[in-house]
Amino acid sequence: MADLYMYLIISAVIFTIGSYGIITQRSGIKILMCIELMLNSANLNLVAFSSFNDNASGQVFALFSIAIAAAEAAIGFAILVALFRVRDTINLDNINILRW
Amino acid sequence: MSYVLLAPEILLTVLALAVILIGLLVSDKSKNILGYISAAGLAASLLLTIGNRGGDTFFYNALVIDPLSQIFKIIFIAVSLLAVIASIHYFKDNRNQDEYYGLILLATVGMMVVASANDLLSLFVGFELASMSTYVLAGFEKKNPSSLEAALKYFIIGSLSSALMLFGMSLVYGVSGSTNIPEILAYFKTAQVSGIDILAMVFLVAGFGFKMALVPFHMWAPDTYEGSPTVVSSLLAAGSKKMGFVAAFRVLVLALVAVRADIQVVFAILAVITMTYGNVVAISQKSIKRMLAYSSIAQAGYISLAFVVMTQMSIAGGVLLALGHAFMKGGAFLAVAVVGYMVLSDNKNAKNTDDISNFAGLGKRAPITALSLFVFFLALAGIPPSAGFIGKFVLFYSVTSEAVSTASTWLLVIVVIAILNSALSIYYYARVIRYMYVLPPAGERIHEPLPYVVAILLAVIGTIGIGLYPEPVIKMAMDAASVLGVI
Repeated sequence: MADLYMYLIISAVIFTIGSYGIITQRSGIKILMCIELMLNSANLNLVAFSSFNDNASGQVFALFSIAIAAAEAAIGFAILVALFRVRDTINLDNINILRW
Repeated sequence: MSYVLLAPEILLTVLALAVILIGLLVSDKSKNILGYISAAGLAASLLLTIGNRGGDTFFYNALVIDPLSQIFKIIFIAVSLLAVIASIHYFKDNRNQDEYYGLILLATVGMMVVASANDLLSLFVGFELASMSTYVLAGFEKKNPSSLEAALKYFIIGSLSSALMLFGMSLVYGVSGSTNIPEILAYFKTAQVSGIDILAMVFLVAGFGFKMALVPFHMWAPDTYEGSPTVVSSLLAAGSKKMGFVAAFRVLVLALVAVRADIQVVFAILAVITMTYGNVVAISQKSIKRMLAYSSIAQAGYISLAFVVMTQMSIAGGVLLALGHAFMKGGAFLAVAVVGYMVLSDNKNAKNTDDISNFAGLGKRAPITALSLFVFFLALAGIPPSAGFIGKFVLFYSVTSEAVSTASTWLLVIVVIAILNSALSIYYYARVIRYMYVLPPAGERIHEPLPYVVAILLAVIGTIGIGLYPEPVIKMAMDAASVLGVI
């Protein structure tokens, strides 16, 4: 039981770091890294609960979500590369054509 | 278990892969035919979906076909069909058309999987399939900085919402020990409400709220709808937004029945803020795409009234308004695409083609488009006979009758706010109508391209048809709501 709490605390800390980074960082790459942190903290949760509940569906879920996170990162980098070709920057402060 | 029920999904998946493969083999010139192939496939799967009533589960309970999934699948396929028909002209002679149609079809399959999801895993996978395809579609004009900016903003907010949703799902799994939605429901019916249930619910509401573009999770929507290619905006606003609603209907209504009272208050606040903010900000917009984006935020506010009372009739009303909104908003964005085409054919280097000044005298320049846009705007404002009126009527009536039967004043206050909001929205729609019909035209009459006309007229038929003959649709919506098993 104590082990489960350790995992949950670690995953909550990683999730918080990720969301803090998304709010404060201005570089596109760093934001992608923070998104990965948030997704992986959820994976850690899933695996910990799977072991705790003694049932494998959490681990299966984590495998699916790892594959999805990889695809998501690929698309994110593709968008950043396309943007860099047009604008020569991926700093989010300069990406402000659309606003009201 | 018969795989015939899954025929629409299988057809679209095979078609998406086939379109990409054909694109590799044929020359750039002959790629224009891919649009017709995709439209035919979507039309076929629409007929297959309308034809079957469902009532079966697949793949160890991961997918379920029931009236709720069927009506949302009809919405998704119809919206994609309209977008694909219009794209036949919008992306004509584009050498990446194969990828474009492949992605639209895959996005549709993703939304359909979400509509059928009976397991948190299939829900998440469907969500991600639809989201990732639409991230790329939003940035499809890869030389256009505003399209890329729209894609980047959509991507960052979209992945953030996926992460929140996944974290919420992991907590639900941890508490209940299962990822299957009926099993989770069975668990929550007997269990005590604990702090972690509330936490999981907050994460799920936030994750779905981003997809539904409820205030305060809405900030991506106006930017993305404005920057994306207009046909893609139509797909996003009319289709992919409904994905959040069907997921919320399934998970929040069904599985978190235990913490129901708290959901009601949360959604009441979200709904009121969302509809008021959307309508108030829409008034001051110069860009019509951005105005439609805010009005679609306001519509999301009305639809989420269904979560506030959660009676069978209110959910049916939410489903009806979602169905009507798909036709009205999808059609309105396509009409804006025609205006964009018109402005660009006047002046190749025009910027901000959706500025309100370009709508001056549209009634003379493009009469079919202007008349259809007039119909869509009146329908969005909720004027009968239209799908928008039917949806709003059933929804507001259900909230009022719930308020009367439980004698709760705050529900009545919410209905009054919603009706005042509808009245407010007429102001900004009427402003565009004045531009179209009162102000003098800025140029000659143009020839409206046939694919646009077909798509827009189909949307008009959907909007008016549901308004004139609502019984079968209302019955479908009531069947869909009865699946959820609420009172």
